[in-house]
Amino acid sequence: MFGSVKCTPCCGEVKTAFSPLLLRDIDSRIFPTRYQSKPVEPTLQGGVVIKTARLTSVLTLAVLFLGGMALAQTDPGVQSGNRGTGAALSSVTSNSPSGILSFFTDGQARFEELETVSGGNNVGLGPRFNSNQCSSCHAQPAIGGTGPASNPQFQFTSDGVAPGNTMPSFITANGPTREARFPFYFNSNGSVNTSNPNGGVEDLFTVTGRTDAGTCSSSTALPQPSFAAAIAANNIIFRIPTPVFGAGLIENLDDSTLLNNQVHNLNNNFGISGTFNHNGNDGTISRFGWKAQNKSLHIFAGEAYNVEMGITNELFPNERPLPGEDGGGGTGEAGLVSTCLNLSGNGYPEDTSNPAASPNSAVLDDVSAFANFMRFLAPPPTGGVVLNGSSVSAATISAGSSLFNSIGCAVCHNPTPGTTQPSNFTSSLGKAPVNAFSDIEIHNMGNGLADNVSQGSAGGGQFRTAPLWGLGQRIFLLHDGRTTNLVNAIQDHASNGSEASYVEEEFFNLSTTQQQEILDFLRSL
Amino acid sequence: MRSRFWCCFMALVVCSWMRAWGQSSKAQNASTNGGDFSNNVQPLSKVPAGVLLVKGAWASASDSVTPLPEGGSVANHVFTNQYFGMTYPLPADWIEKYKGPPPSDSGRYVLAQLSPGEAFKGADRGTILITAEDMLFTPLPAENALDLVKFSSQHLQADYKVEMPPTPTKIAERPFTFFAYWSPIAQLHWYVLATEVRCHAIKIVLSSRDTKLLENLTLDLNNMKLPAEANPTAGMGGGDVPVCIKDYAENIISRVDPVFGERHFNPAPVRIIIDKEGKVKHIHFLSAFPDQAKAISDALGQWKFKPYRANGKPVEVETGIMFGRPASPVRRAGANAATE
Repeated sequence: MFGSVKCTPCCGEVKTAFSPLLLRDIDSRIFPTRYQSKPVEPTLQGGVVIKTARLTSVLTLAVLFLGGMALAQTDPGVQSGNRGTGAALSSVTSNSPSGILSFFTDGQARFEELETVSGGNNVGLGPRFNSNQCSSCHAQPAIGGTGPASNPQFQFTSDGVAPGNTMPSFITANGPTREARFPFYFNSNGSVNTSNPNGGVEDLFTVTGRTDAGTCSSSTALPQPSFAAAIAANNIIFRIPTPVFGAGLIENLDDSTLLNNQVHNLNNNFGISGTFNHNGNDGTISRFGWKAQNKSLHIFAGEAYNVEMGITNELFPNERPLPGEDGGGGTGEAGLVSTCLNLSGNGYPEDTSNPAASPNSAVLDDVSAFANFMRFLAPPPTGGVVLNGSSVSAATISAGSSLFNSIGCAVCHNPTPGTTQPSNFTSSLGKAPVNAFSDIEIHNMGNGLADNVSQGSAGGGQFRTAPLWGLGQRIFLLHDGRTTNLVNAIQDHASNGSEASYVEEEFFNLSTTQQQEILDFLRSL
Repeated sequence: MRSRFWCCFMALVVCSWMRAWGQSSKAQNASTNGGDFSNNVQPLSKVPAGVLLVKGAWASASDSVTPLPEGGSVANHVFTNQYFGMTYPLPADWIEKYKGPPPSDSGRYVLAQLSPGEAFKGADRGTILITAEDMLFTPLPAENALDLVKFSSQHLQADYKVEMPPTPTKIAERPFTFFAYWSPIAQLHWYVLATEVRCHAIKIVLSSRDTKLLENLTLDLNNMKLPAEANPTAGMGGGDVPVCIKDYAENIISRVDPVFGERHFNPAPVRIIIDKEGKVKHIHFLSAFPDQAKAISDALGQWKFKPYRANGKPVEVETGIMFGRPASPVRRAGANAATE
């Protein structure tokens, strides 16, 4: 294949024969030739030297090019083999320090717990929610990942999770698990007010109709947001779950490492220049979420528990109204109705630490346990790739990796943005390379991907460089899961205002074979 | 007096009636639940598709007349940038497919990115990228365009091979530095041509698998028009445009600090033009939140500098000031914009 032909006579000659001494002033109409073995060939214009490659080289290239053209590039698709994703870090697996493994397993168990509104061990769900279980959305290819092939949300109106609800049209049986946001508030007459940015999560479901929802079970107590109206007004965007494998390593990258990496990244000829999102409290670089809006895994877990499941906790202790029912929209509502508060009957926060519990891991509140689980998950291992039923060679994957670097993808999707600082948790988190394929910076991604949602320093067109480790086994791609095809995802990197348009162009300037090698490489991650 | 009373009274009645009527009219169109719970699927207005409305930190300026670095455009098949005094007739069959991103908070501009259009007949395609690096703000260890290209050539990643180290040349009768490298695995070649205008390193990056195409594109660049100051080591403005001077903010006579209402953590690089009397004539925010820009504008309007003189005559001067945190902690000492 073309990409594996690295040292043909043609290529070798190109590499070695370009003499700086041949460069003259370009305005004097003399151009450098890199083929010393080829005599200078003046053109009819007089003096412009146009190099001609050897016939063999041209023929070789032509054959290879046409060979590449014969087969369009194809996303190998989701790789099904068991790569061992979802395991704990090696030092955690070996229970070093003593007891840490139980924190991981306990966190994982809680990550998989089904939450209820009231009347059980895991109460506090709602009154609004997107799901009732962390692992229902973070499931692919293992617990801690991203959305699964079969969308559990699609069953909620029929399986008793959200019986009194209408299924939003954008939640489908085999589509991505999603959360929805309205970029702008609506006025009281239903028109969109583009001068009033919203961007908060509009939970898809309510506890309406649930037998454990008490006074909030009534069909009139808590309406769902009008997703149909939002779609009609083009005032809705979606986000899919981010996988959290290896997240503890990202968390443990020191700011100085990221800042130095940023300067290193600036030395590019692709027009790329990213920046960072920051935590509003201490000003340090935040790094989790599609816009790097969350500082730590603890914050990430606490926010998700409250926003995605409606469970108040030690970090977010208050029940959350929707943005439009909190005085910001046109409804005039001032918070959740009283009949939908304290549905667990236990008071707030609904998730707390458990001082009298045993063993040690059980003392933690759920949010801390979730954070530990995510923190101690190993990075997703790379693996082999099967394309159209055949295994892709290691040489092809390697070529794809080099091509990925060469055309500029790696400026943002940095294979290794740095090495972690020492860890006080466990040895595997310390002094470890973070092969995340992300610079953790936020970049302008253009009008084609922009969602008009601002979070922290990130504007409506900026997104964190999505870490690509584990990409080989992801089903839904980009922040809203709009595609399952890597080629489409690459194409969507280009639009007006995107830092990646030039690199996207470079991708499609490659031969079809080379493009295929990059796709194969990406599915090996 | 009485007639005036009745006049006011009647006006109030009419006004109140109209207001009530207006509400009634709105109510007829409103759904049973307003706001986010509206059931109106026949929207009164739509969010325009593909338009960025919530911008975050962004570029802006104190007036809409003074040319800006990011203000270039392609029209009638010619790229024109008034700020840099640059015009470039696009090669035949080449187009600007996408506009570049906004200026970055490290001072990088994508002025134009060009690619072959549908009518392009070549076997291998290519790209033309024109960027500008504000040398008053760049965190890279470079004093000028030549330094920048040298740094780039000396720090190429392992996947690239140098074809031509930085070498002096001329484009459109202006001094440039030329640097070429390629990727053996990708069979892609990059030609980088750089000069400096108004303390910005202008880089023209051509890339393709087809070196003949690249050479033709390079020769085609001779159709550009550039200001006389263009020079890889000495593009310092002057003539019809202000002289640009690093660290000129040190020549301040009086100043007030901006009062920021909200705490941000982003770098806010600002270029200013100081008039012949030492007052701030023009402010260009490369990247700032609107509230930052407002606070900085309010402050800069009260700053007074020592007027700059060239050949004994006062001239306008352009300089840079970094408000907020720098884009990076790695900066060369004593050779960059003042940091506030």
